Amino acid sequence: MSDDINQAVKAFILSEFLPGEDPDELKDDTPLITGGVLDSIATLKLVLFIEERYGVTFEAHEVDPEHMDTTADIVRLVCAKRLRDPA
Amino acid sequence: MAAVLPREINPASIGQLAGHGKISAAGFLGVLVQLALLTLVFRQFQIENAGFLRLWLLTVAGFAIHAFLPLRYRLPFFLGLSLAGILLVLGVFHGVTLIVLGLLLIAICHLPLSFAARVALLLFVVAVLAAQRAQWLPAPWSEAIWPILGSMFMFRLIVYLYDLRHDTAPVSPTRALSYFFMLPNVCFPLFPVVDYKTFRRNYFDDDAYRIYQVGIDWMVRGIVHLILYRIVYYYFSLSPAEVHGPGDLAQYLVSNFLLYLRVSGTFHLIVGMLYLFGFRLPETHHRYLLASSFTDFWRRINIYWKDFMLKVFYYPAYFRLRRFGNTTALVLATLFVFLMTWLLHAYQWFWLRGTLLFVWQDILFWTVLGVLVVVNSLWEAKRGRQRALGKAPSWRGFSTLTLKIAGMFCFICVLWSFWTSESIFEWFSLWKVVGENFANDVGIVPVILAAVLVGGLSGGRAAAGGEPKPGKRKPARLRGLAITVASLLILLVLGIESVYTHFGPTVASVIQPLRSGRLSRLDTAALERGYYENLLQVNRFNSQLWEVYSKRPANWLDIEGGGLKRHVDGFVQVELIPAFVSSTNYGIISTNRWGMRDQDYELQRPADTYRVALLGPSNVMGWGVGDGETFEALLESRLNRESNGTPFAKYEILNFGVPGYQPPQQLAALDKALAFDPTAVFYVATGRESSRAARYLVEVVKKRIEIPYPALQAVVAKAVLDPGMDEATALRRIAPFHAEILTAVYQGIAEQCRSRGIVPVWIFLPQVRQGRWQEETPEMLRIAQAAGFVMVDLGDIYKGVDVASIRLAEWDHHPNQRGHELIAARLYHEFHAKRDVLLPSSKTAR
Repeated sequence: MSDDINQAVKAFILSEFLPGEDPDELKDDTPLITGGVLDSIATLKLVLFIEERYGVTFEAHEVDPEHMDTTADIVRLVCAKRLRDPA
Repeated sequence: MAAVLPREINPASIGQLAGHGKISAAGFLGVLVQLALLTLVFRQFQIENAGFLRLWLLTVAGFAIHAFLPLRYRLPFFLGLSLAGILLVLGVFHGVTLIVLGLLLIAICHLPLSFAARVALLLFVVAVLAAQRAQWLPAPWSEAIWPILGSMFMFRLIVYLYDLRHDTAPVSPTRALSYFFMLPNVCFPLFPVVDYKTFRRNYFDDDAYRIYQVGIDWMVRGIVHLILYRIVYYYFSLSPAEVHGPGDLAQYLVSNFLLYLRVSGTFHLIVGMLYLFGFRLPETHHRYLLASSFTDFWRRINIYWKDFMLKVFYYPAYFRLRRFGNTTALVLATLFVFLMTWLLHAYQWFWLRGTLLFVWQDILFWTVLGVLVVVNSLWEAKRGRQRALGKAPSWRGFSTLTLKIAGMFCFICVLWSFWTSESIFEWFSLWKVVGENFANDVGIVPVILAAVLVGGLSGGRAAAGGEPKPGKRKPARLRGLAITVASLLILLVLGIESVYTHFGPTVASVIQPLRSGRLSRLDTAALERGYYENLLQVNRFNSQLWEVYSKRPANWLDIEGGGLKRHVDGFVQVELIPAFVSSTNYGIISTNRWGMRDQDYELQRPADTYRVALLGPSNVMGWGVGDGETFEALLESRLNRESNGTPFAKYEILNFGVPGYQPPQQLAALDKALAFDPTAVFYVATGRESSRAARYLVEVVKKRIEIPYPALQAVVAKAVLDPGMDEATALRRIAPFHAEILTAVYQGIAEQCRSRGIVPVWIFLPQVRQGRWQEETPEMLRIAQAAGFVMVDLGDIYKGVDVASIRLAEWDHHPNQRGHELIAARLYHEFHAKRDVLLPSSKTAR
């Protein structure tokens, strides 16, 4: 499950924010927010994508580097949400 | 939905991830050598103040111990060091007061009450403190602690409460106290809004040596910013009245924006210091001169502020509003951020200065920037923004980026100039002048455009190749180290007097002022004016003057029971209130029945008495010293004590000094003095006489006050001043007539004296300040000499004396008691040296 989320998140980021970028450059630990890939608008776009695709709801305080700085962080957050509130 | 547990962070897990914060002996030695070089550079260039140097030495000593402590002891040690730093800089009493107040605020955050109750209680306590800050309620502690207390808690409390509300990580008292009392803060009232979660999360999360080295690199970058700031501040900044054409305007706009280097430099220094204790915080500014769009500018300049706004206002607002649609939520949340930015800047100003800041320029600046960022955000939301992890930009992309950077830089300079202008009318007057003089200076336009493009081109290259590349490693360790050490050595060598004087007097006179943080000529003039008026220019954090002002107590030299002066009709506008007595922090201040700050005298000069009428501004009146301590009183008393009977039986010096009097007002003061039948008139000039005289004429014209002196009327007519004109335009118009105005004043005084047989004496009394304020002195001396005064030049009176020991305070450059003693002693000497011209040939002569 987590692999599926990871792949989907990476694919979304590559297509929306990094078009033409080598997919191998985007790793599980690539810093997205602190590295400048995700600014506030991009982060909200990603949140909308995840919410729609996985039926989870984000809260404002979760949109920060602690929860969303890498795809690994995002996967962890989404999995925890799905465990707590299964669709 | 309940909060999701964040990754648990504790010192033990950090230790496993980051090699326990250990550093090799060689690495430690390398860091220590660089810290020693930094110390020398700080000292050489007098970075910040003496308090900072003390704190820095404590930091270096603390680092040497901290680096070898087991990880679990490091945070408590950092806390201890931070508290010691507060005591070291503020002194025990102020320091303990600040710590106790801080502990109270932090304790309220953790009371066993509901969150709402804690917030309510905190708001109540903050309201009481605010009332004390505004002096509506008495405070049993010194005003000196307010800027630092405000700086430590005004924003961090908001962040801390937000995280307490949403975070499930265990509370660590040591970490919380370290967060609020953070070591460098005691020396920097303007402090970046450090995020609590980041402060906690990034603690020793990388190799210790690498963290320390980044800290040093950033401090070096901070020093470079601060020195560049000084170059701009001392040599390139202009006042609006000095803008006469496109070239001047370009200089004005660019230098105005570049003054922000002071803030970016200081923030680099602060965060670099925190790195020495393992806090791997993000960059505070990222190449903000190279922004390519409004949103890009907002993301690059003061990144901590942007993150604070996103966390506390933007995301919460967006999530609440998104039921109205994503675009609406985005627009309203962005506008909300700019509204809060404006309000919180005013709030910050209140805690640092103790006054409110609500000016139109502020409101319009944030509104315009907010709207532009909204439009830019919508564009980006629709079209996307170019990002890259590793791919090189295309030639077309690079060219577009270059043009965008150049355009954005120009636009921000213009917007910034509006924000920092003293009034909206003044800002518009800048553009009017350019229109009027465009044809004369049209040749400068291609040069400016070329400069902007070249800047944009190099910026485009840096931005295209220098964006952070996530996942990429930092430059090679040795290369980075070599660059830092080389920069430090270059700065060190450049700061050695025998080195820069070797390149000749021109180079020496440029470098020498860069070695200390003095006020520029514009700020010095503003400080002078600030003794008597509320300065609007001090409402921005760019120049050094606000910092000086932040230390000034609100009731500085306040006089009990109302002011010392009263308003009167006519050209002079104000005068001292007769028979006035009050106490100040510096003793009793009283006036006699004639409105002189002096003992009582008869109108009629007694027989066999040498009577001097002393004219001048506050230095003469004795601002900041008690009755009997003015140089006038000391000189009079000594003349009567030691020169009694030679040749006069008695000496009287009548003090006609009035604070804030400008040279043209001395003509009116002379009219008053002549009624007392003086033997001599001593006119005391303290510097910048011609520009002050011109500014006064502009003031009276604007107020439609009649000018009773034909020579001054003629100048006003020639300059074509009219009351509806904004101040900058009027000052620009009158600038060519500075010498003529001063000549009219000096000749008016000297001729009136000579026609009555009175000896006119012109005394140059230098101001008790360093920095650039003497630019008008040679011309002033020449005009006084030409007017026929007996010249007494005290220009070297403070030579070899520590200025700080003879002035009232850093924010008040009037001579203190010791200063007045020095002046009196020197005048006594001059009086005897010039007795042949000062004393009439016989006692009976006038």
